[in-house]
Amino acid sequence: MMTVATSELTGLLRDWKQGDPTALERLTPLIYDELRRIAHRYAQRERNGHTLQTTALVNEAYLRLAGAEKPDWQNRSHFFAVTAQVMRHILIDHARRRRYVKHGGDVQQVSLEAAGLMAEERAAELISLDEALNDLARIDPRKIRVVEMRYFGGLSLEETANALGTSVMTVRRDWRAAKAWLYKAVNRES
Amino acid sequence: MTPERWQKVEEVLQTTLDLPETERSAHLAQVCADDYELRQEAQSLLEAHEEAGDFLEQPALEQDARVLLGQDELGRIATDIGPYQVIDRLGRGGMGEVYLAQDRRLGRRVALKVLPPYFVSDDARLRRFQTEARAASALNHGNILTIYEVGQTDELHFIATEYIEGRTIRELIRAGSLALGEVLDIAIQLVTGLSAAHAAGIVHRDIKPENIMRREDGALKILDFGIAKLLEEPAVESSDWTTSIPNSKTETGALMGTIGYISPEQVRGLGIDERTDVWSCGVVLFEMLTGKRPFTGVTNADTIVAILEGTPPPLFESRVSSTVLRMIARVVEKALSKRAEDRYQTADALLADLKAIETELKRVPADKTSTVIGAGTRVNELASLLHQQATARRRNRFVAAAAVAAVVLAVSSFALYRYFRSDSGPQAPPVKKIYAQMSEDEKLRFVDEQEQRISAMIGERPARLNDEAVRVIKTHVDWYVARKGAKPGDEGLSGVYRRAPPYIPVIAKAFDERRIPVVIGVYLPMLESAYTPCYENSFGAKGLFQFLPQTAQNYGVARADMCDVNKMAPAAAHYIADRMAELGDDSQSMTLVLLSYNQGPNAVLDALRSLRESDTKFERNYWSLFANRDKLSQSFREGAGYVPGFFAVAIIGENPEAFELGMPPLSSLANDALKAR
Repeated sequence: MMTVATSELTGLLRDWKQGDPTALERLTPLIYDELRRIAHRYAQRERNGHTLQTTALVNEAYLRLAGAEKPDWQNRSHFFAVTAQVMRHILIDHARRRRYVKHGGDVQQVSLEAAGLMAEERAAELISLDEALNDLARIDPRKIRVVEMRYFGGLSLEETANALGTSVMTVRRDWRAAKAWLYKAVNRES
Repeated sequence: MTPERWQKVEEVLQTTLDLPETERSAHLAQVCADDYELRQEAQSLLEAHEEAGDFLEQPALEQDARVLLGQDELGRIATDIGPYQVIDRLGRGGMGEVYLAQDRRLGRRVALKVLPPYFVSDDARLRRFQTEARAASALNHGNILTIYEVGQTDELHFIATEYIEGRTIRELIRAGSLALGEVLDIAIQLVTGLSAAHAAGIVHRDIKPENIMRREDGALKILDFGIAKLLEEPAVESSDWTTSIPNSKTETGALMGTIGYISPEQVRGLGIDERTDVWSCGVVLFEMLTGKRPFTGVTNADTIVAILEGTPPPLFESRVSSTVLRMIARVVEKALSKRAEDRYQTADALLADLKAIETELKRVPADKTSTVIGAGTRVNELASLLHQQATARRRNRFVAAAAVAAVVLAVSSFALYRYFRSDSGPQAPPVKKIYAQMSEDEKLRFVDEQEQRISAMIGERPARLNDEAVRVIKTHVDWYVARKGAKPGDEGLSGVYRRAPPYIPVIAKAFDERRIPVVIGVYLPMLESAYTPCYENSFGAKGLFQFLPQTAQNYGVARADMCDVNKMAPAAAHYIADRMAELGDDSQSMTLVLLSYNQGPNAVLDALRSLRESDTKFERNYWSLFANRDKLSQSFREGAGYVPGFFAVAIIGENPEAFELGMPPLSSLANDALKAR
């Protein structure tokens, strides 16, 4: 479904970077579809494989979406950052639906819908992590970007630094502080 | 917290984290000198940092790829496993993926559990598991989930079980709508099933709400019989007390692991029998009634300490007038006895008491409008009754201290035992007065006398303690005495003392066989055994011996190897040699050697042997570190502070009557323990 003009991706990324609140909304289906398609192909290739590498996946998605466009380092970094956010939304949405179905629906429905994709405990974990992230965002938004890229985007410290245009040292420090903060928040909640 | 405040806290956290571990607490104290809250905040984040381990390190998508794939992809991931056609994925637990599947041969639905590769990579473990699972599959009881088949394909090992639709007890607890009668019914069915299994010689060993399901029709099924064994490390040969060390290897719940259901003997790695299941039933019953687990803590280490040492919050108010509730409280209390011999000795015995409660419950009129507690009373209505008391007990901090003291005590006991058996040292003067009644002079003399005795006791040579060491010892003695008469809820030294005996024979035996003047600090085995991998954030390393992780890293032991006694021993030897070099040749220092006896007494001996081989000044080097404490660099002084505590406990333990403790001296306990062996 390569219907999106490649220049559109660049434009959307630029909008997103400039703080256009609708950009993420418009980017999400685009990225989600692409990620799904790639993930499916991986899954078919390795029937029992759960070896889906997040970075590889995102990389491939970028290359495909960017298409014939000249590979643009800046663009790629933005793409990684935005993809991490998209991933977070997808997973948290799913976790919330999972919970909703679990508590509201009947057993049969659970097994056919959300349950197959995510264990309930995992959904609870993700939701409490998301809440902790929202709390942290209020006092230190930069760390949220780091966590999104590392945890949801699967980026290494170096890649995260590149995408954020900062030093590896800064990312490393942000990461350890954010981890401690979130770990504490998540465990206190439980 | 405001962004500004957080900035400040983070600044402190970051500068602290930039320092070597041994310097952190001093730094923290310094930079937060007059801001207690800042220090608390930074300290808790520091602890979180240490505990976080692999938290968030595995990208989310690697766990949740399925979400991306969507439902329609499921069938293509694994459509056939052996003779089973996979219909749906039911979930994922510590034991791997669970699928709903159709048995093509019989046309029946099954729950198919596929074991993750790392569980089956060890042949011995796999065989053990298969033996156990096959034995469990012979169980034929209405309250036990039937195992149809333990099988394998080319790539996978799996277990096919009866498939039931229902809810786990965990879900029922979460829903919060259980009635007292239901709780009792669940407990009775649970114990009935266990009783049948025990009769067949099978212990479940992992009873928890997730492992119990209630079918729509009310029938209860216990899941995963025998499977817990897979989670355990292989037994160490020829040492039966280490055969079943649990660890907390679960895949999901990585953010919030639960170890709250295991028994003290499991934690300690001691032998397990049906009384272990009785304990776990007690925990489940407690949780069904209150919605809370009886033993919890902020971290796994805290939970373990609570299991070993903690008193659960009371189930009901003591003045509660309901006979039923009083009966229930008694049952739970008995099932949760720390010592297996104090519990119900069989599931049948527990069952009998549960049935008596059921009978009593039936006598209560089922009048919904009355305030009488009956079968229809919701447990969450009880909770408000319970809540008033639940918060009353503060526990964690002291319990942690008590655990440390228990080990100190155990170590001391050994030393005392040696001394008393050898009959070569000065005899203890008969104590005329209890310590609290002594004058200041008498107290000082008393402590001095004990010091001399200890000097004789720890070796055939004098250990000279400098003035500061003596002062610290006295402070510790006072501290213990004060602690003894502390608050009613606190467990005094007597409680610590009572729990020492299990450790004594192991230590005594190990050292009796080697005539070396070594004082050994035992690396808390029960805590360590619950950690795999055993990072420095485990209680033992962090709380008891600050320098261990430092040692490990400085001396080239990877974090993950910190619980490997064979790798730690050379590091410890080098560490000691270096500290001794720091003190100079004329020092009479004694160092604590930290060893794990997790792997059995033989491992301790081997480690001692390798210590001896790798340290040419072995004999000399194991003397009092504290005596020359002021010569040590700042970072090592804190570790040395442990030594006087050791002496203080030794003094008290050997003179219980002088400290108003109604119990025999530790040396006699050590003797008894050795004889019993």
